[in-house]
Amino acid sequence: MDPKQQNALALALIGTLAVVSAWLLWPLSTSIDKGLDIQGGLSVILTAKPMPGQTLTAEQMDRAETIITNRVNGLGVSEASVQRQGTDSLLVQLPGIKDAEGALKALGSTGRLEFVDWASVPASEKADWDAYLTAANQGKATDRPKPLVEGTYESFLGGETVKNAVVSTREGGQIVVNVEMDSAGAKIWGDYTTKSVGKQVAIVLDGVVQSAPTVNEPILDGSTQISGSFTAEEAKQLAAVLESGALPVTLEASESRVVGPTLGAQSLQQGLIAGLVGLGVVCAFMALFYRGFGVLSWVSLAVFSVLELGILALLSRFNMFALSLPGVAGIVLSIGIAADSSILMFERFKEEVRMGKTARSASRSSTRHALGTSITADFVTFISALVIWSVAIGPVKGFAFTLMLGIVCDLTVAILFTRTIIIMLAESVVSKMPGIFGLRAGDAS
Amino acid sequence: MNLHMDFMGKRWWMLGFSALVLVVGIGAILIRGLNFGIEFRGGTVLTFEKAGTVSTEQIRRALEGAKIEGAKVANIQPAGEGSYIVRVSEPDATKASAAYQKVVAALKLTAQETNVTTIGPGWGKVVTNSAIMALLWSVVAILIVITFGFEYKMSITAVVALLHDAGIVLGIYALSGREVTPNTFAALLTILGYSLYDTIVVFHRIKENSGRIVKQSFMQMANESINQVFIRSINTSLTTLIPVIALTVFGGETLQDFAFALLIGLISGAYSSIAVASPIFAMWKERDPHAGPFASGRRCEARGAPGGRMGAQARGRVRSDGAALGGLLGHRRAHARRARRGLGCRGGRVPDPRPRS
Repeated sequence: MDPKQQNALALALIGTLAVVSAWLLWPLSTSIDKGLDIQGGLSVILTAKPMPGQTLTAEQMDRAETIITNRVNGLGVSEASVQRQGTDSLLVQLPGIKDAEGALKALGSTGRLEFVDWASVPASEKADWDAYLTAANQGKATDRPKPLVEGTYESFLGGETVKNAVVSTREGGQIVVNVEMDSAGAKIWGDYTTKSVGKQVAIVLDGVVQSAPTVNEPILDGSTQISGSFTAEEAKQLAAVLESGALPVTLEASESRVVGPTLGAQSLQQGLIAGLVGLGVVCAFMALFYRGFGVLSWVSLAVFSVLELGILALLSRFNMFALSLPGVAGIVLSIGIAADSSILMFERFKEEVRMGKTARSASRSSTRHALGTSITADFVTFISALVIWSVAIGPVKGFAFTLMLGIVCDLTVAILFTRTIIIMLAESVVSKMPGIFGLRAGDAS
Repeated sequence: MNLHMDFMGKRWWMLGFSALVLVVGIGAILIRGLNFGIEFRGGTVLTFEKAGTVSTEQIRRALEGAKIEGAKVANIQPAGEGSYIVRVSEPDATKASAAYQKVVAALKLTAQETNVTTIGPGWGKVVTNSAIMALLWSVVAILIVITFGFEYKMSITAVVALLHDAGIVLGIYALSGREVTPNTFAALLTILGYSLYDTIVVFHRIKENSGRIVKQSFMQMANESINQVFIRSINTSLTTLIPVIALTVFGGETLQDFAFALLIGLISGAYSSIAVASPIFAMWKERDPHAGPFASGRRCEARGAPGGRMGAQARGRVRSDGAALGGLLGHRRAHARRARRGLGCRGGRVPDPRPRS
């Protein structure tokens, strides 16, 4: 490919990226998800603490996550999320919640799994739950009824007796959940199932009815098989719920933030002002110092901004990103980093022209050289950001992420756009009008 | 724009100034200590914005009315017009949240403009550990990257400059009594990466120039390299400083947390690349006995120490301090070329000021 084609290809590529990013960004106010510190709400980091003398396993964390997800869904907050942080923590985000105290109480308690005699449940609640469970079985989603009120029903067995619960497939492809109980549990279970054949027993986690299977036969060895029209996902969830009864960890709120919505919005506004002022002053500085090239860097910075924000909007669409305040700090800092790559190229170009090279040959060698320096320097910053991202817990992760993304966007724009434009300008305009590029007449002839 | 400033001639002044600031900073850390935020100690911070005419006394009474068990009101600090930041020693999120709701009700405020952050007791250890791990990994990664890209002496002097920057940032935090938060640490780590930006620009030029034949001592060549890149170094630092200053001035509390550490670190980083990293590196090179010919100022082909060192090896001198990794990686071909040519050192050539490209 000859250099002209190469340039055209580079510009076409970055142009496409910019247009796609701009499209993703539209409309700006809603395209990037906002984190809790901006839209307001409750954000808690729950850390699992194993019982003394025990260590935390990955399975226990899976179960803890299931329990917490269950509870969060029970709170009825839309757009709530539960994420793993590190090896022992869960980040729970509840946007716009009013009753932070109640939510914290609900999240912090240990999972309470019970086997309940379904007949003992008060009629009105029972009817609600029956309707809900039937609908759920038929794949129709309805609103979940209120959790059962503790003490109004008879729970004959606690979840701590469950040793394990696994999903398996029966002959004919039916998905079932196999439950093993310890000997004490097996005894009570045996007695109950013997006298309750044909009756329903409910599996209840924190007052929420998870399943209400019918007893088909007495189960005396503590090895129970629960069958139904499960999907694999539902069966897995039920197994996780059953195992959660045996969860030997407590979850403690190690960091909790309740942010008022107005305060959060105000913080974002302050960040935006800082970003725009920073961008404006950087642009003015570049134009004053580098003249024509400075104005060129405006376009580079604009492309850079659109690209970075566009990728954030894309990630937001897949619920993989929410902009937090530290994230805003990362974006503002990356504006400076983006300007740096342009400066390295402009300075090198001017230097080589002053040493007597023609603009044409200087443009090629100087951009190559400057990019080498940029890449090394950016790489080191990237490594630091990567280290923060992998080690940090909580909001600081967002800072490291936007910074890393900023560095990647910066290099993309520098390689595809800034470099190409310098080369193209050097071949045409620069030698005709050296003055506007901060070169003396005669320098670039 | 090639300046002709004698940076290296003033190296003892620059190093002395850095040492002085560091000594004061470290002294402040040792004597006054760092003011760690609640993220490290556990406790609760309440922020009230637009509290209007509410006075500190009213807030104190409301807090007492809320009866936070076993918790003391550490301080109530005004933060701008009608804004207060209140620190309480309550580490239990549920209790803190309940108390806070009572306080908001008692003060007749809305929850719209308030913010309550509670940190549990064990959290500080986790945060501190992750900060220390991040710092160590960063330094290790940086050492590896620079050693591979340049040479080990550059990577070590770069890390010295980094630690210098970190020391100055923390020293200023100790002096000013500003609160150290996890955000401060994140900013500090970023600076470690970023302060290298300038250092790498200078080292790139030194490496490039040391491959040239110039009638200069290594020190002179390093000085010229700094002069060549001085303007761009200042400009890259300025363009990064501008947004950070904007954050410091316009950002709210959280953003200022980042911005303050970034601000000091950037200034210190720009200074240290010229005043700390480059002179230490150049002095180290000159002290290298195998870099001999130009170390003593005798006119010679200044190919940089790797070449000189390799030359020394070629002449049969035995090195005892282990070969420089960078020399082995980056300059092997140049060494071989020099070794083949027999390493004439005396008849110096005419300096070629053009950057090679």
